[in-house]
Amino acid sequence: MSEALLRKPVVCLENVSKIFGSNERATAAVRGVNLQAYPGELILLLGPSGSGKTTLLTLMAGLSQPTAGRTRLFGKFIDDYSPRDLQTLRARRVGFVFQTFLLLDSLTAKENVAMVLRFNGHTEQEGRRRAMALLERFEVGHLADKFPRTMSQGEKQRVAIARALANDAELIIADEPTGSLETRQGLEIIRLLHGQAKDGKTCVIVASHDLRLAEFSDRIFRLEDGRLRVMESGEACAALKIGQGRDSLKGT
Amino acid sequence: MDMYAIRTLRSQPLRLVLTVGGVALCIVLMFFLLAVYRGVADGSVDYIRYNRADLWVLQSNATNILRGSSFVSADQGDQISRMPDVNSVSSVLLLLATIRKGDKVRTVFLTGYEPGNGLGGPPRLAAGRPVAGDDEIVLDRSFAAKYRFRLGDVVDIQDRHLRVVGISGGTNAFVIQYAFVTLRLARSLVGFPGLATCFLVKVKAGADSGRVAVRIKEDHPGLGAYSQDDFLENNIREMKSGFLPLMYTVAAIGAVVLTVILSLLLSVNILERRKDFAVLKTLGSPMPFLWGLVVKQALLIAAGAVLTALAFFFPLARLIERLSPEVSTKSSIGQVAAVIAVVGVMSLASSLLSIRRLRRIYYLEVFS
Repeated sequence: MSEALLRKPVVCLENVSKIFGSNERATAAVRGVNLQAYPGELILLLGPSGSGKTTLLTLMAGLSQPTAGRTRLFGKFIDDYSPRDLQTLRARRVGFVFQTFLLLDSLTAKENVAMVLRFNGHTEQEGRRRAMALLERFEVGHLADKFPRTMSQGEKQRVAIARALANDAELIIADEPTGSLETRQGLEIIRLLHGQAKDGKTCVIVASHDLRLAEFSDRIFRLEDGRLRVMESGEACAALKIGQGRDSLKGT
Repeated sequence: MDMYAIRTLRSQPLRLVLTVGGVALCIVLMFFLLAVYRGVADGSVDYIRYNRADLWVLQSNATNILRGSSFVSADQGDQISRMPDVNSVSSVLLLLATIRKGDKVRTVFLTGYEPGNGLGGPPRLAAGRPVAGDDEIVLDRSFAAKYRFRLGDVVDIQDRHLRVVGISGGTNAFVIQYAFVTLRLARSLVGFPGLATCFLVKVKAGADSGRVAVRIKEDHPGLGAYSQDDFLENNIREMKSGFLPLMYTVAAIGAVVLTVILSLLLSVNILERRKDFAVLKTLGSPMPFLWGLVVKQALLIAAGAVLTALAFFFPLARLIERLSPEVSTKSSIGQVAAVIAVVGVMSLASSLLSIRRLRRIYYLEVFS
């Protein structure tokens, strides 16, 4: 059992289902999912488009409520949080990385990162100082005063990751983080996310089509028609065609 | 994040200019209405304000000279002048009269007064001198400017030829302007030698004008007597009742248009930037933070519009006064402050209207 598993889970899904619509138009995006995610691990959710990956991410981030089952976030049932508590939780403990980066194009890289810090009470000056440090850490410090439209896709995603980590997030939700990137840039981003998980404090959950992520993942799940299935090492290797000997692939 | 509000607005320069321009036009309209109102208010009642009688005596039930008719007789004036404590009684006859000069035919509020004691005459003279004889007339400055009457010109009223000897100020009541002649001439124009509209009564030094007013009313049940302040107030109230509803209606339309323009722009900005707002919500932005962005944008536009309006209003007002001299405007810091306060309130109202759209932006919009 991984050392991570000895810790308290960051996210815990208990037989969670999410159904959109009603009666004959009802569609189950997620069905009976059980999952626990721990600090220090990178979890990969694989699956074709429409399989329910994004819905699962929103459930894990507390952005939507399950139709059935229960979600626990940071040890507390999601129903027990008020909307304001959830907003505060996202501002202070959760970071997001999106496929299309979703940086605010009216703000510079530094302002994009510093903005998140404003949500949890940092002064503007503190926010800018910390944002600069994060941008330096992700090797985009030289872009601090540049606007997103002048950056490459890879640079934008690095800034987005800096933004996701600005609040010392314990949970990072990444939706297709390499989806808009070239191979080399994608690999760099994967390494950054992996490195973040390996600090032992952060849980990184990634929904992706990108099979290269498997190499860096602690656990891999496959979503098919809303049902979550653990991928065993061999199965994953075969599917990924990425060779043998990756002891980082762990099933539960 | 103030930069976000500013840069978002600046990202659509044409839209921003049109919005600021539209809002500025509404503000100019409000400035202009207030300035015209002040001009009309002063022009309508300056005549009373500057003719400081202790008592204004009119036919009973006539409380003002702007929108009421009053007929009093010279005999009544003589009787009042003989009352104890009364120092002097000056008769004034007000009538609408048509002035002709060549092919120009205009109407004025002709005021006949007794030049000897000065009461009932023009509040102030911009040029020339008061009338001294029955063949002279003093015209209002804006009236003279509009119809190009000058000192020395001869104008006709009925079959009388009158020389313009003075130009008066504070005598433009917007819809009509005062002109001044001798009481004798005014009476002869009407054809009733002893007729007057009102008496301006001065009491003796130390006398109680209130007691004199009571006495006048007791002795002459057909007359009403008002102190200077009460009579001024009556006329201001009358002027307001005729003018303010119109002004308020137009100003309210201006304020509504301002709010609509502003909330339209803010709503379009929110809709265009809905992904930004969805991202901010997802990242944990408190709702007051998002509301603040919209409010800041509204206030930024309003501030820009106020500055634009101030830059354009004063030259515009001067231009209008030059083109239409009867439009007399007066502005004060208080008026500007009042309009800015209204604009501030309407900006907040427009942001509140737009802020409702933020509720319909969902977290899930950020996931592709």
